[in-house]
Amino acid sequence: MIRSAAAIFTRDLKKFINNPFVIMFTLFMPIMYLVIFGNAMGGTITHIPIAVVQEMPYIDESPLYVTTVAELRHYSQSDNPRTFDVTAYYDEMKAKRDLRDGKVNAVIVFPSPELPDRSIRMYIDSSEYVTPSLIESGLNAVLVKEGAHASVETYKIYGDIKYIQFFGVGVIVMAIFMTTMMGGGIALIKDREMGIIEGYLVTPVRKSSIILGMIGSGTVRAFLSGLIIFIVDLLITGIIVQNPEDFLYVFMILFITSIGITSFMVAMASRFSNQQEYASASAFFNLILFMTSGAFYPVIGMPDWLRWITVINPEYYAVHALRSTILRGQGLEVIGFDIFALCVFSAITITLGIVTYRRTLE
Amino acid sequence: MNSDPEGTGTILAGSGRSTFSRQSDIIRIEHLGKIFQDKQRTVIALEDITFNVKRGEIFGLLGPNGAGKSTLIRILTTLLRPTSGRAFVDQYDIVKDPERIRGIIGVCPQNSTLDVELTAYDNLDFYGRLENVDDTTLKERIWELLRMAGLADRAHMKVQTFSGGMKRKLEIVRAFIHKPLILFLDEPTIGLDPESRREVWHQISMLNAADTTIILTTHYMDEAEKLCQRIAFVDQGKLIALDTMDVLKLALPEGDLIELGFDTMDEGLISAIRENRNITSIERKDSRLLISARNGSRVLPFILETFENHGSIITSISIRSPSLEDVFIYLTGKKLGGDSGTGQEHSGTGGLS
Repeated sequence: MIRSAAAIFTRDLKKFINNPFVIMFTLFMPIMYLVIFGNAMGGTITHIPIAVVQEMPYIDESPLYVTTVAELRHYSQSDNPRTFDVTAYYDEMKAKRDLRDGKVNAVIVFPSPELPDRSIRMYIDSSEYVTPSLIESGLNAVLVKEGAHASVETYKIYGDIKYIQFFGVGVIVMAIFMTTMMGGGIALIKDREMGIIEGYLVTPVRKSSIILGMIGSGTVRAFLSGLIIFIVDLLITGIIVQNPEDFLYVFMILFITSIGITSFMVAMASRFSNQQEYASASAFFNLILFMTSGAFYPVIGMPDWLRWITVINPEYYAVHALRSTILRGQGLEVIGFDIFALCVFSAITITLGIVTYRRTLE
Repeated sequence: MNSDPEGTGTILAGSGRSTFSRQSDIIRIEHLGKIFQDKQRTVIALEDITFNVKRGEIFGLLGPNGAGKSTLIRILTTLLRPTSGRAFVDQYDIVKDPERIRGIIGVCPQNSTLDVELTAYDNLDFYGRLENVDDTTLKERIWELLRMAGLADRAHMKVQTFSGGMKRKLEIVRAFIHKPLILFLDEPTIGLDPESRREVWHQISMLNAADTTIILTTHYMDEAEKLCQRIAFVDQGKLIALDTMDVLKLALPEGDLIELGFDTMDEGLISAIRENRNITSIERKDSRLLISARNGSRVLPFILETFENHGSIITSISIRSPSLEDVFIYLTGKKLGGDSGTGQEHSGTGGLS
């Protein structure tokens, strides 16, 4: 029994050692977890964009406004860079519009010097995680430091949003990436491994037909699983989607995201000839993309060197677009760019998949 | 088997044939070489292969395992690129025009390439679409092929439930679903029982009768003898001989082959036998004697008598007409012995004819 166990042991170990790619990724993975996850999650959030407005009518800005804004600009937690990027607005309506469009995270309206008894009004983007409480505590700390006796009225413009609701949107994207990881393109590699490929490479079928066919079927699966998780998410977290057209937006985002991520996986599969290698690589990339997508934690909390990933990360655009529609009820004016970015990403990965696909056995 | 009544499936091959030049060689191979390289070693799989295949023939590619037959087939079917030399399938260059070639060939590779998770019908359907078989005729064609392979009653069963022979037959009929101009069969009957082999041979002959050129690799000599009009011997990546079977057999010493087993023998025996004028060659291998002789059955009594006179005891006797296998052993034996003259000569004339 020991002898045969040893034989199995050696065989398995030999296979592992003969596969440097997998070894690399198995070691790489925890290191990346440490670096990426550690930094992407629970990083100190700084440079939160907020708007300040002096309420009309006024001739000169009130002392409360001047000192509080100055303090807010310099406010920081311990040795970190300053917490807020403060922009002064002169039009309260415009500031609120920018808040609605996600350009700033809060609008603080200071009472007119003519009506000093009124309280400070703070409108806050409650769909984000961590930042609302940071803004609130920041403002309070500044007011206490000044010794000002102003009261603050806080308006959460999207109501109370729980973490599960914030995170739930990310899980929809996770459903898409899990499906593509298991399904997207793995059949291509199986065909190569099992030699089935030799049968159809001698037919007149084109590279583009093979890749587009694979992406098509992968997209359908990814879209369906995204859709199912979207519905489950609504039921579990109790989010209420306001407009029927928001559903259409969600379907559109899910569909384009499915195309993008599936194409990415198929593009990788078109190069790999070994399932293990593909599985490690796709798990690796997908985890990086998911961790930096802002699904767990606001992207604003990531260090600058890590934040560049979001620029090329389709899952970042997907999470942002879904959160905008599902939690904030925003429309095309906000998600338009996300959809554009997802389309560009898909186009690049589809092309990559077709170009890199090997039409021979070599 | 019933012939195709509507004839729509033949459009591909038929229309092609009319536009292609009517030259008699459908495949031309010129100094083809293939080298596989990786970090540790370099393997020369094919070395300076030159020959032509005639339109409408059944051409046999014979050789032991690892001779380079499959590599050659893979190059001709556009799956691999040659390292050196050129080859043309119909008038198309295999490197410059692989897409055109894929449209006119059908291939049954050596290893199973069926998708075992699909049913027999779905496998054929998949290939029919990839091969651009017209939708209106595809269904009928699939059933025709399934009946041909004797799998009509298993059409909707997954291929993974099939026996090795059933899979092989399905794979072979799949190769000509689109009625190709040229059919490549890499070891078509490997792993088949005798009955199934005969069925496959019958199918191959039928297809050939319908003007399909067939290139067949095998290491069964009887298969090549039965089917092929011309035969090429390949060994260690080189073409050793190419010709019709009758001509190839001429490479052997004339006459029948007599093989004798014996216990003991004195030296005078061989020279005594050699005195008979009908005996063309004698070779001793351990405790066996290989004799070639004209009119072997007539010579045999003389040989037995000579053995008796010398007091040697014969333990076994066989007499037969030389087969392709003997030719092959003879040729490769020569080659291994360092004298490759005969082989080279044959490949030269074969290639030019």
